[in-house]
Amino acid sequence: MAPAQRCPLCRQTFFCGRGHVYSRKHQRQLKAALERLLPQVEAARKAIRAAQVERYVPEHERRCWCLCCGCEVRKHLSHGNLTVLHGGLLEHLASPEHKKATNRFWWENKAEFQLKEKFLISPQDYARFKKSMVKGLDTYEEKEDEVIKEMAAQIREVEHSRQELVQSVLEPQAVPDPEEGSSALGSWKGTNSLVASTSQQPSYLDLPLTPELDWMETGQPLTFIGHQDTPGIGNIHSGATPPWMVQDEEYSSVNQQIGPSYEEFLKEKEKQKLKKLPPDRVGANFDHSSSTSVGWLPSFGRVWNNGRRWQSRHQFKTEAAARNKQSCKEKKTIVS
Amino acid sequence: MAAIYLVDVDQTPVYTHYFDISYIPSTVFFFNGQHMKVDYGSPDHTKFVGSFKTKQDFIDLIEVIYRGAMRGKLIVQSPIDPKNIPKYDLLYQDI
Repeated sequence: MAPAQRCPLCRQTFFCGRGHVYSRKHQRQLKAALERLLPQVEAARKAIRAAQVERYVPEHERRCWCLCCGCEVRKHLSHGNLTVLHGGLLEHLASPEHKKATNRFWWENKAEFQLKEKFLISPQDYARFKKSMVKGLDTYEEKEDEVIKEMAAQIREVEHSRQELVQSVLEPQAVPDPEEGSSALGSWKGTNSLVASTSQQPSYLDLPLTPELDWMETGQPLTFIGHQDTPGIGNIHSGATPPWMVQDEEYSSVNQQIGPSYEEFLKEKEKQKLKKLPPDRVGANFDHSSSTSVGWLPSFGRVWNNGRRWQSRHQFKTEAAARNKQSCKEKKTIVS
Repeated sequence: MAAIYLVDVDQTPVYTHYFDISYIPSTVFFFNGQHMKVDYGSPDHTKFVGSFKTKQDFIDLIEVIYRGAMRGKLIVQSPIDPKNIPKYDLLYQDI
């Protein structure tokens, strides 16, 4: 028997020696492993032509397992706050160590020869990738500049509209509301006049005021109908009972009994009793140990009877009575 | 389906007093006879004071209240943008 050898692909120990690599199980494992690795390599290969540069995100720290070298490889190439997608993997695939390791892997595991090319990146391809990476970096920089310019323009616009609004408000006189408390309004006016005098310096006080102005000008204003506080009666905030939960006057004085009265209860009891069948009734649940009277017989000797049992019982009783009468009479005649 | 009732404050003094309705329009929400509270970001959670900016705001609010009530909640968070919620002064006797 061959010495024990561990196959890292199948993660098992075998005693077949060199024959193991030709077995079905090993080939199947090999195929599955290569199929897992292939999509990543293909994605990296696509990136050769068009390298993508993106802002750094912790997700770009992800690593990929290289089957041939048996080591973890960083997938993307990051530097500062920029990342070149698939850069790390391409770098590794183009390296000569990886080529050697791939050749050895293919020889040892007896994989398909044509597949090997797919997992290798030639130095020319890598050079092409480097060129497209440089181009990608340039375009990324241009994009970033554009975004920054746009943001600046937006901020300038917002600033401008804010200033215009402040100007338009200062011109017409604001109507004071007597209920609101003029002190609050006065201070608001005061700050606004301050801002008007130093219009070059936009203060952050403007921010909470402007949205309020927007809403109050466009929508209908609120109508004040008076404070709803009567000291004696509570309201929702003080936790009083809601008006719909308050007991009605008439109902509380009359009897608050719910449920049936005593007479109704007795009637129900009677009804329940009638529901039950009589205990002496002939049927499946008949208690054979109970004593029965003469008249209990299941049938009374009738033969062609149809109709209910009580009819035959009634006939039997009348006949029995007639028989008794006759026997009494006979006894009397004998005696006399 | 939500039923909407328009109530005149002058004709319901008891409820106006109970809900402390000082500004109109005010909207009070109920589900199955249970009063629902909503956190709009304003000081009063028991009613929505003011008018709604868009129809969609109103619809969204009703849906949130319905979903919360079906799960047994008594207070829910309003989905309306705070800038669309009307501001008012909640002064107690001009303090």
